Amino acid sequence: MPAFDEQTLHNLEKLCRIDCSPEEERKLLDSLNEVLGYMESLSEIDTTNVASCNDVLRGMLKNRMRDDIVANTLSREQFLSNAPDQIGGMVRVPPVLKTS
Amino acid sequence: MKALHTLSATELRDAFVNGSIKATDIANYFLARIATHDPQIKAFLQVLEVRTQTHAERLDKKRASGALLGKLAGIPIAIKDNMHIEGELTTCASKILENYRAPFSATAVHLLESEDALLIGKTNLDEFAMGSSTENSAFFQTHNPWNTRCVPGGSSGGSAAAVAGRLALLATGSDTGGSIRQPAAYCGLVGFKPTYGRVSRYGLVAFGSSLDQIGPFATTVADTALAMEVMGRTCNFDATSLDLPAEHYALATHLKEIKLGIPRKVIEGLNPSTRANFEEAIQVMKSLGATTVDVDFDILKHTVSVYYILATAEASTNLARFDGIRFGHRSKNATTLDELYFQSRKEGFGEEVKRRIMLGTYVLSAGYQDAFYKKAQKVRTLMIEAFETAFGTCDAIVMPVTTNSAFEHGAIQDPLQMYLEDLFTIPANLAGLPAVSVPSGYDERGMPLGVQILGPQMCDTSVLSIAHAYEQATRHAKIPGGFA
Repeated sequence: MPAFDEQTLHNLEKLCRIDCSPEEERKLLDSLNEVLGYMESLSEIDTTNVASCNDVLRGMLKNRMRDDIVANTLSREQFLSNAPDQIGGMVRVPPVLKTS
Repeated sequence: MKALHTLSATELRDAFVNGSIKATDIANYFLARIATHDPQIKAFLQVLEVRTQTHAERLDKKRASGALLGKLAGIPIAIKDNMHIEGELTTCASKILENYRAPFSATAVHLLESEDALLIGKTNLDEFAMGSSTENSAFFQTHNPWNTRCVPGGSSGGSAAAVAGRLALLATGSDTGGSIRQPAAYCGLVGFKPTYGRVSRYGLVAFGSSLDQIGPFATTVADTALAMEVMGRTCNFDATSLDLPAEHYALATHLKEIKLGIPRKVIEGLNPSTRANFEEAIQVMKSLGATTVDVDFDILKHTVSVYYILATAEASTNLARFDGIRFGHRSKNATTLDELYFQSRKEGFGEEVKRRIMLGTYVLSAGYQDAFYKKAQKVRTLMIEAFETAFGTCDAIVMPVTTNSAFEHGAIQDPLQMYLEDLFTIPANLAGLPAVSVPSGYDERGMPLGVQILGPQMCDTSVLSIAHAYEQATRHAKIPGGFA
């Protein structure tokens, strides 16, 4: 397994949309290397012909489907009461496209 | 009558129903206990004083009118702060949700309140339930009522401390890798993780969706069963809710014809005092009529690896919703949309949450998915099969809950060491099994220890029944000094 290096960490920060301070980066690099090193022992286990676990209850669990009925479960006011910023009854966000 | 906090939840409910005490007196009594004792242990993030008093007044009127009272009438119950109570804050002990007010109640919470329980407060936790000590809360640390220098365990440490200090007689927790059972053991309580799907996850802020399960903390197994009778209902708003009728938890007082599996190899590495305590618990169960058989669980040595791959992968996906757009913390230091994501998440998440999101993203990334995520999903299958084989030879498996009693604040700094704390509790989550932690005595420091009983999927009643027989024979549960 290639080493978990600074470049990998920077790529992860981008993927996760999380900025880290240099101090946080140093700690993350050390701890993630240690944890991933520990996890490598999984490669010792023979999993040829073993199915992936997609359902922990192995068939007991049925998807609970219900009819798609329109209902007023969350009003606009209720929803917006938790929004960090709003305008005209909608959530306001910074510009998505740059203006020239 | 005995002091209210020394009663079990069942006894307190009976006292209210038969007219020995008013609900308003119960509410005031426990609110006063919180005011006196919570500053020492800091179990609560919010105390719902008005809600509790208003509900208690309604209950007194309901009782006077002769209407039928709920199964939990008058019982003060603490709710872990990652479950919604309509109109109240749900912070998940995270800066990113510091001001988030729940627009609806979690199904489990709604069921408790419908049965007339008094929702007395929201309890502290490791941020987003990620941790084993409640030291990862963004707001403050919670202390163990048995020794305030020690952690209460985690992630449901606030709920455990609240019930251990008898500031509430029941509490809810969520258990993704041991977050109910480990703090229950550290605080001398009964803590139960039901079969996956037994309690609805609707209104529980998701961490690892294939592992998360809500369950109760209580001072007795009978109270645990009472809470489960109420919470363990099928729910249309959780696609993984079990479509089964509610269980009636018939509890035994002997273990005749019960065969218990003991994973001897797994417990070899225990320290002498934990091991002696565990062996003693097995002897008690044998004296109650149980027989034992060794079960082989070599695969269990890989549980921590499998769990921290799958749980973090699921967490990285679940926590993508916290982006500063629709709810939660939004950074003031961003001018573009992309900066807003990066800055809001940087400012809102704590160190452990960031670590787990990154780890989860890494094990799911194209280059490493086969070696980590997909491999772990296959090993999870092998673990489920190992349990199925074991349950072919026994009715339940008995294991310790933890390798030691509660550790001191700051004693474990290394993330991997903290992850290894979950060694004995993770297997039940990976295999979806019901598992209970019951008090099994005290170590040489006077700190509580617990023993864990795991059963096959759906056998929640038999797990609690075995725990009840053991509890009735031993009666280890006590109120910590200073809280008596």
